[in-house]
Amino acid sequence: MGDVGLNAYLMVGAVLFVCGVVCMATKRNGIGVLMGVELVLNGANVNFVAFSRYTSLGLDGQTIALFVIVLAAAEAAVALAIALNFYNNHLTIDVDRGNELQG
Amino acid sequence: MDFEALFKQFLSGDVAQQASILRSLTIFLPELVLSCSIVLMLVARLVSLDRIIPTHWFALLGGMASFVIVLFQFWEFGNSQTVPVEVFTGLAIHDEFSIFFRGFLTFFLVFVIALTVLTGIPDDEDAPDFYSLLCGAVIGMMLMSSANHLLMLFIGIEMASVPSYAMTGFLKGKRRSSEAALKFVVYGAGAAGVMLFGISLLTGILGTAQFSELAPRFQAVFASHAGMQDPATRCVALALLMIAVGFAFKLSLVPFHFWCPDAFHGAPAEVGGFLSVGSKAAAFALLVRLTTSLAGDGSGALSQLSLSCGLGLGLIAIVTTTFGNLAAYSQQNIKRMLAYSTIAHAGYMLMAVSALLVLQSVQTDLVFQGNHQENGPRAMEGLLYYLCVYLFMNLGAFAIVALIRNQTYSEEIDDYKGLAQQVPVLAICMAICMFSLVGIPPLGGFYGKAFIFASVYEATNVHWFMWVVLAAGGLNTVISLFYYLRVAKTMCMDTRPADAVPVSMAASSSPALYVMLVSGMVVFLGIIIDPLSKVALHAAHALF
Repeated sequence: MGDVGLNAYLMVGAVLFVCGVVCMATKRNGIGVLMGVELVLNGANVNFVAFSRYTSLGLDGQTIALFVIVLAAAEAAVALAIALNFYNNHLTIDVDRGNELQG
Repeated sequence: MDFEALFKQFLSGDVAQQASILRSLTIFLPELVLSCSIVLMLVARLVSLDRIIPTHWFALLGGMASFVIVLFQFWEFGNSQTVPVEVFTGLAIHDEFSIFFRGFLTFFLVFVIALTVLTGIPDDEDAPDFYSLLCGAVIGMMLMSSANHLLMLFIGIEMASVPSYAMTGFLKGKRRSSEAALKFVVYGAGAAGVMLFGISLLTGILGTAQFSELAPRFQAVFASHAGMQDPATRCVALALLMIAVGFAFKLSLVPFHFWCPDAFHGAPAEVGGFLSVGSKAAAFALLVRLTTSLAGDGSGALSQLSLSCGLGLGLIAIVTTTFGNLAAYSQQNIKRMLAYSTIAHAGYMLMAVSALLVLQSVQTDLVFQGNHQENGPRAMEGLLYYLCVYLFMNLGAFAIVALIRNQTYSEEIDDYKGLAQQVPVLAICMAICMFSLVGIPPLGGFYGKAFIFASVYEATNVHWFMWVVLAAGGLNTVISLFYYLRVAKTMCMDTRPADAVPVSMAASSSPALYVMLVSGMVVFLGIIIDPLSKVALHAAHALF
């Protein structure tokens, strides 16, 4: 197996990032939006690991990726709890239905 | 390679390196004390100790203890050393600036806990959860203020944000509260994701995540490539823009401010007060740290970077203040109005950062002689003084909103009519806070604004655009007069309708004393500015 080089990894990271942003912008389902966030975070993680292999970033990149995985899990736990709370009060998780706060 | 260094320290067991870890842990003591009090609170509930000792005592004592430790560190720092110490192999930095902000945040934590005890927002059942979230968020903010590494930046922001999301939705069974929390978490998680991607690009291109190495590496990248047309330079610009999105979200700057009014409207007023002061202060500390280390010594390409960052932030500051003030004008709900006022104040404070960067960009030029070296610290002094005054005036306003809500169950401005006849204490203190938020001379808010506008005026020597910033700041102060005074007028001049819910509060009761203390500090900081402004200037010097 030949080395595919840094740019191939960055491309994967960028595609994940764009998919995530599009998902965040278009999904109306609250859980869908959170899945978009996960895609963005993992796109960044691919970048970190690739940079740690190919640049002078070194071990820092991999450590950052590990920390981000943990942070993403914590954030997802809180976000899902909040989505459940929203569902209990509104009987939907459509983010557009949260329209009582305006002005 | 600080992580490698850290791992090696653990593996090799070298005595000198273990001593450096011990030293780091000693410096980290305030955060450790807060963490211990979180654990204690949760364990106390496990063994039903919270039935005997109310949970807020754990939180209150933990907050006070860590504030005292920070004070002691400040004293120690002033006596023995003046060199910033890098702790945990450079992940965080310990200098006067971080001590100032850690002291600020722990002091604020004590005040917020006292407020929640007085208004009783978390009931006994939920108190351990609420105070753990509160203390956890403050630890995150303290990490933000002492971050020296891009990973610490991200961890700090997440540690401060995630508990804030939960606290916003803390009131169970309230439709508005759950909606506010959902909006907050969706925007917040999105902004954090974009910011992390920006960080990944920046670290990749510069090959480091250490703040102190960013400026030299940037210069090297800029020197080895052909200027702005080069992909590497453009990529750095894109990364900085993405990181700016994360900051704009935390500081609720236009166009990433949507969450702020909704979150404040739906959240309890105490949480609104906490978010509006605590997370803003920490985010400003982090923004200043990151931008000053990016600007470096302001030579060569860094001068250009610093100037363009400064002007960009200046433009955002103008738009943010103007938008915040105009939108606040038509609000009927007081928490919503205060949220827009928070947005506007973030804009004023951003003007100080903008002035700082513009001033830094000519650091090495000898065109501007005289006390020019003092200008950067002066801008920072303005920001720090403003934050301190802002702590009291905004917390005071939110505290009064919470106390009135407890009796009338309403947060509409119209329901505040003629409160001066029933509770003169609250009405007078609210008027003081409102006048200070406008920036009327004898009060603290005036000096905060005056310091910031003075440094923006200094920056006009460097670039003409700062005149526009200065004019926008002045105009906005005039616009803001109308909506702040409307609240004061409604409370003090109107007559209370006969069918309105009566409000009563003895002038010697503890909530009234709390409110008087907070608004008394607003007056005090307007009359005696010297001690605090000296401390602020001292802290600001640590950055340069």
